[in-house]
Amino acid sequence: MIVIRRNAERGHADLGWIESYYTFTFAGYKDPAHMGFRALRVINEDRIAPGRGFGAHAHRDMEILTYVLEGGLAHRDSMGEVHTFGADTIQAMSAGTGVIHSEFNASEREPGHFLQIWIEPGVTDADPSYQQISFDPLEKRGRFRLLAAPRGSHHAEAAAIHQDAFVSAAVLAPGEELRQKLAPGRHAWIQVARGNVSINGDALGQGDGAAVSDEQDLSFIGGPDGSEFLYFDLA
Amino acid sequence: MQDINTLVTFSSRTGATERLALAAALGAVQARALIRLRWLRENVDDPTIDGLPEWRENRVRMAREYIAPREIDFLWADVLVLAMPARDGDSSPEWKTYLDGLKGLHGKVATAFTTGSDATLVSLCPVLAGLNLILVPPDPTATALLHGRKVTEAARALKQPARDPL
Repeated sequence: MIVIRRNAERGHADLGWIESYYTFTFAGYKDPAHMGFRALRVINEDRIAPGRGFGAHAHRDMEILTYVLEGGLAHRDSMGEVHTFGADTIQAMSAGTGVIHSEFNASEREPGHFLQIWIEPGVTDADPSYQQISFDPLEKRGRFRLLAAPRGSHHAEAAAIHQDAFVSAAVLAPGEELRQKLAPGRHAWIQVARGNVSINGDALGQGDGAAVSDEQDLSFIGGPDGSEFLYFDLA
Repeated sequence: MQDINTLVTFSSRTGATERLALAAALGAVQARALIRLRWLRENVDDPTIDGLPEWRENRVRMAREYIAPREIDFLWADVLVLAMPARDGDSSPEWKTYLDGLKGLHGKVATAFTTGSDATLVSLCPVLAGLNLILVPPDPTATALLHGRKVTEAARALKQPARDPL
């Protein structure tokens, strides 16, 4: 079963310095029918004005992934981590017992375009941690590039998170096909970051998402504009 | 568990008091409080700022990372944490204005930190007591992190409905 969450159905907020689309309930957008999917709690697509961002604020007991689509993000936190990063990088912060951080569009001239993802951890009170892993964009071309994987699953190329969840990115050219097996009992979420892609024949566009359950064979075919999408394999 | 809102207000020049404020705020987060961090910007002239290395750079950064304290912040708060640099105490004009503007604090919990001498805090305590705040005394043996936890837990204990002793 594939249930599509259309771009235009998402929550939307435009505060001037930030324009956000919320796939699931977040901040001022509250919809009990869209509280998350499995352990996936938040997918926010944010466009942030040059030099603007989120001042110091706290998180607790959440796995927070940031994926840059355009521009760069400047991060600073209570663990002493100070970083600037751009596309083709996964940033993963395990808030655990508590983290205070700020994040700003690193450019004073160009807007930034970011995906912010929250995954509920399987444990509470974990030690806070910060991971940032960059990769060659060729690694996601025509195949899945693993961005995050459960702690202890021994995927050195991916950020280790406190949840039985695997997050990957893939880029497809128009007409290019990528197949994926979903193990029995597992669920998937697909979020289209750019372009368009079909999944088992259902066409998805930029900003669309899809919840997948009780399916075992997934076929992704790049649409007319090609596509980049995130793939979540969830318990 | 009772929801607790902890407001941490600080002023800082080279970042030392900011670190103290962050540690206290993190302790509050560890104790599962919601937190707000607010920066009290000093009204100073350029030569004064330039007289202290790092001050200008920190000032620009802090102006981005923190907003100034507002009335809705202390009305929201169950806990007020004040962190002030060595020379400030309640004698600096910014802190005096801030403290004078506080009201409606009956039953809220407060504590204070300083990167300076104990005299700064000693002068502050009667001011806080005069605001009808419940004062959790500064503890020189505890880190700011642990003290931030402690003051949040104290506020939570006070918010619990009274238990029947029998």
